[in-house]
Amino acid sequence: MLQELFNLPANLPVVASEHGADVDNFIIYIHWLMAALFIGWSSYYIYVLWRFNGKKNKKADYHGARTHVSSYLEVAVAIVEVVLLTAFAIPMWAKVVEEVPKPEESTQIRVMAQQFAWNFMHPGADDKFGKQAFDLVSEENKFGRDLEDENGKDDIFTLNEIHLPVDKKVVFHTSSLDVIHSFKVIAMRICQDTIPGMSIPVWCEPLKVGRYQINCAQLCGNGHTAMTGGFLNVDSQEDYDAWLAQNTPADGEEGAGALSFE
Amino acid sequence: MDSTEAKEHHGAEHDAGHGHDHHDPGFMRKYIFSTDHKIIGIQYGLTSLLFMLAGFFLIAVMRWSIAFPGEPLPVIGSLLNTFMAGMTSPVLDPETNELIGYAISNDLYNSFGAMHGTIMVFLAVVPLAFAAFGNYVVPLQIGAIDMAFPRLNMASYHLFLLGGLVMLGSFFIPGGPAQAGWTSYSPLATSIPTDGQLYWLIAMVIIITSSLLGAVNFIATIIQLRAPGMTWMRLPFFCWAQFVTAFLLLLAFPPLEVGALLQLMDRVAGTSFYLPTGLAISSMQDVSGGGSPLLYQHLFWFLGHPEVYVLILPAMGVVSEIIANNTRKPIWGYKSLVYSTLVLGFLSFIVWAHHMYLTGMGTKISTFFQTTTMIISIPSVIILTCLFISLWGGSIRFNTPMLFALAFLPMFGIGGLTGLPLGFNYSDIHLHDTYYVIGHFHYVVAPGTIFALIAGIYFWYPKLTGRYMSEFWGKVHFWCSFVFMNLTFQPMFAQGMAGMERRMADGGAGYSVANNPDAIGALADQFLKLNVNITFAAYALGLSQIPFIINLFYSISKGRSVESDNPWQSTTLEWQTPTPPPHGNFTTPPKVFAGPYEYSVPGAAQDYNPQNQKS
Amino acid sequence: MIKKVTMFASLALVLGLHSALGGDITGKVTLKGAPPAEVNLPFDALCKRTVKPGVTPTTRFYAADASGGLADVFVYLKKAPATPTPSEAAVLDQVSCEYSPYVVGAQVGQTILVKNSDPVLHNVHPTPKVSGNKEHNKAQLPKGPALSFSWDNPELFLRFKCDVHPWMFAYVGLVEHSYFAVTKEDGTFTIKNIPAGDYEIEAVHRKTHPNGKGIVSKVTVGADGGQADFVVDISK
Repeated sequence: MLQELFNLPANLPVVASEHGADVDNFIIYIHWLMAALFIGWSSYYIYVLWRFNGKKNKKADYHGARTHVSSYLEVAVAIVEVVLLTAFAIPMWAKVVEEVPKPEESTQIRVMAQQFAWNFMHPGADDKFGKQAFDLVSEENKFGRDLEDENGKDDIFTLNEIHLPVDKKVVFHTSSLDVIHSFKVIAMRICQDTIPGMSIPVWCEPLKVGRYQINCAQLCGNGHTAMTGGFLNVDSQEDYDAWLAQNTPADGEEGAGALSFE
Repeated sequence: MDSTEAKEHHGAEHDAGHGHDHHDPGFMRKYIFSTDHKIIGIQYGLTSLLFMLAGFFLIAVMRWSIAFPGEPLPVIGSLLNTFMAGMTSPVLDPETNELIGYAISNDLYNSFGAMHGTIMVFLAVVPLAFAAFGNYVVPLQIGAIDMAFPRLNMASYHLFLLGGLVMLGSFFIPGGPAQAGWTSYSPLATSIPTDGQLYWLIAMVIIITSSLLGAVNFIATIIQLRAPGMTWMRLPFFCWAQFVTAFLLLLAFPPLEVGALLQLMDRVAGTSFYLPTGLAISSMQDVSGGGSPLLYQHLFWFLGHPEVYVLILPAMGVVSEIIANNTRKPIWGYKSLVYSTLVLGFLSFIVWAHHMYLTGMGTKISTFFQTTTMIISIPSVIILTCLFISLWGGSIRFNTPMLFALAFLPMFGIGGLTGLPLGFNYSDIHLHDTYYVIGHFHYVVAPGTIFALIAGIYFWYPKLTGRYMSEFWGKVHFWCSFVFMNLTFQPMFAQGMAGMERRMADGGAGYSVANNPDAIGALADQFLKLNVNITFAAYALGLSQIPFIINLFYSISKGRSVESDNPWQSTTLEWQTPTPPPHGNFTTPPKVFAGPYEYSVPGAAQDYNPQNQKS
Repeated sequence: MIKKVTMFASLALVLGLHSALGGDITGKVTLKGAPPAEVNLPFDALCKRTVKPGVTPTTRFYAADASGGLADVFVYLKKAPATPTPSEAAVLDQVSCEYSPYVVGAQVGQTILVKNSDPVLHNVHPTPKVSGNKEHNKAQLPKGPALSFSWDNPELFLRFKCDVHPWMFAYVGLVEHSYFAVTKEDGTFTIKNIPAGDYEIEAVHRKTHPNGKGIVSKVTVGADGGQADFVVDISK
């Protein structure tokens, strides 16, 4: 454990999102607490095993330790935990789940996981998704779209690859077609189980241009190990605009990814 | 065991204790359909040790796949192919096209993964910790002649065996056993086209029923059958631990039984308790929808978390007994231990959703569960602290049971501490479902609980057989296990930090830099390479158990005989009986005059005062 | 076992002699009308490495040549004398992250062998809809050995998919006898060794006839065989 602790900053993978460093720091703080307790206990333990070895100490003491140091120690642990909880974990989590950015200030993406790939839906140039309903979801209509809706005409659909502009908040509305998957982008420090029948938002603000691996973090069947094709492409604004222009479907045409491959 | 040979062991004292109307009940009645708590305890013990071996075998195969994905499995590859045809993946030589062996397919890996978890938790550790030790030791420690309901006790074991056999049976059906992890989350579990899941569900219902019968029996026994003078605060801590465990099983298992039945209905009767609207799965065309996959998770973890304490409390009980005995002094803070255990038992029912932080949990609910999770760490810390401080002032004997019990403390400490970053949801974002989690709970259960249980076996063995297990081989067993246990689980924390996911048949190779050279966030080679180290450490850990297995059976007839009925100079009642204890346990009904750990009482002639002796 | 094989062999021989009295049905399936554009397949990085640079794989909905000859049409006799289960397997391979061939025929009970020639993991997931035909779902390791399947009830079409690569599909025309063929690249087909008589023959194109009900026509097989041509009309 100690070895991990000293290597901790090196062991943690690259961070590329605004809140990612907070997650890492929080992990490091907790590990300092753990290290303090572990080293404290271990030193005591080794000392006691040496000092009270039966070969040396023939007669045991009926009363044993008479101090109340341990009680203070327990109180101290409790206090540190309370601090970690109220100063870090609760407010940070509140920010993650309660302050989901509004559509005006963020890129909105719908994610539909399936065995064993990621489907993405981008609202297109109008920034508005077409209407969707879970009871319309089928193998052909993966996002359960209402095909009549005008807002949906310019929606972009892709398999496995999605593009985003850098330095702008992005909200992923995650769901699944079949079983529970988990949408995890390690570099962004986001992870969200995608649950069929539910649409759950998760968000971050990517700070670095790059091509980021999407992991499926929940056992989803025999192809789980091969569900590695998903990538988050964080582009500069120009590259992103170019991608958007290239992929926006022409009038009366469906977005390429909307078509079925069957 | 041959019945005549066994009679030599048990016969003499047996007749002395129960002279009236006694005749030999015959092999079947005595060893298979016995209602004697001691025989049932031994039945549970041997069965669960066999299951533990099976569970280890499964992980040994899986570890091969993790370290060397797609490479032919050595030694047992073709054997596996014989028994589980169609699940292994034959490997052909790329040039000659000749068959060179059998690799592990993803389906097989997932099956073994699901069964490793299920077997280890429900068929190995719980029955060993609770049913085996509980059955053998609890009635003796409280001074009872047997359990409150001996026939129920027998039924409980037979149901357990039946459930276990159904579970094992699923290995031999076409399509193989369940593949959806030991948690069997719906809809995955419902959608995989193998009947293995059906076997899993039916087996679970049977096993849970068995546990419920056992739990009721323990509660009734401990409340009703304590010997005169055995007040609650004179109860050995082991009995307290078993008492609280029994309540956990009684109250936490029924929701999972219901959960399993509902999933069974989803599978066989076309209901959709856990199947939502909006599913597009080809194998499930006519799902009406409207169900909730999260409902299953809640029901599962409502059991799942108390289950952790079912695994750990009996272990703490065993460790307390051994530490008190081998430090030759009372447990420090006995009352704190008891109250902490009660609080722990209660709190364990309101922390379950910390397994589900990433299912889309809002601030209010997550605050509640984070807070309760942090609160529950306090009694755990108190228990561990009491055990640590109990060492102070002792005259410590380093025999084999004590070595295992002592190792339990720091190992369980690591397991508990690494639970902290998982218990806070903000850090869980990064660590959820990675190898960090695997490392965490294996530290709790393997070098934690299992070490404690092995300590218990070495400790109570002389009472069962009248002979010691070999000290030398015991120490070999201990040091090898200790070293390889740490070499196995320690690197997993680093892998988890690096973001390596669990439940990957290829050990994360799919996310490696080699596979995705232009991706940021791919898994660095150094963490993949650790897979090989861990695998060999795990095999060495397996080999380290051989001295134990041989010792266990060899010492039954060839071990060093005990000098007295109380070879460890212990205070508790199970040592104040003949060895091995006859049917009915005590030669005279015991009366209790003192607390459980009256060691080294100032002014006493010897350094232990048995509970049934006036001081 | 050996006895059984020789029995089948002699049975086949007898049938062969018998059918020599009849002949082959040949013909061509032609596509009329302009098919919609095929969709580019969104290959992931691993799959891209399996195709030549610059090649963009597409769907294979309407595989018509310059003359209009339509490939991948399943042609079979609606009612025909019983035939023994062929001993050789119908083969589906997975090459460059696609099933090959796209459409294959098989008799009920015949082994369908699925190979993996790719250096990537596939999962072979046949999804029959006819009751009694069992669904399977098996992962197949990179370059892993072939998996075999068979079903006992006729089904048009029994779909194979790969869940790892959501564009991968293959279709099996599963019928009760072995009088079937799949049209070649030029749209032609040959059903061999049919006993003389009058038959109904059906041509089914997966995309045009999604419910498995294709174009039926009548054909007489004499000593010099028979001829049946079809037009799949999508111009309306």
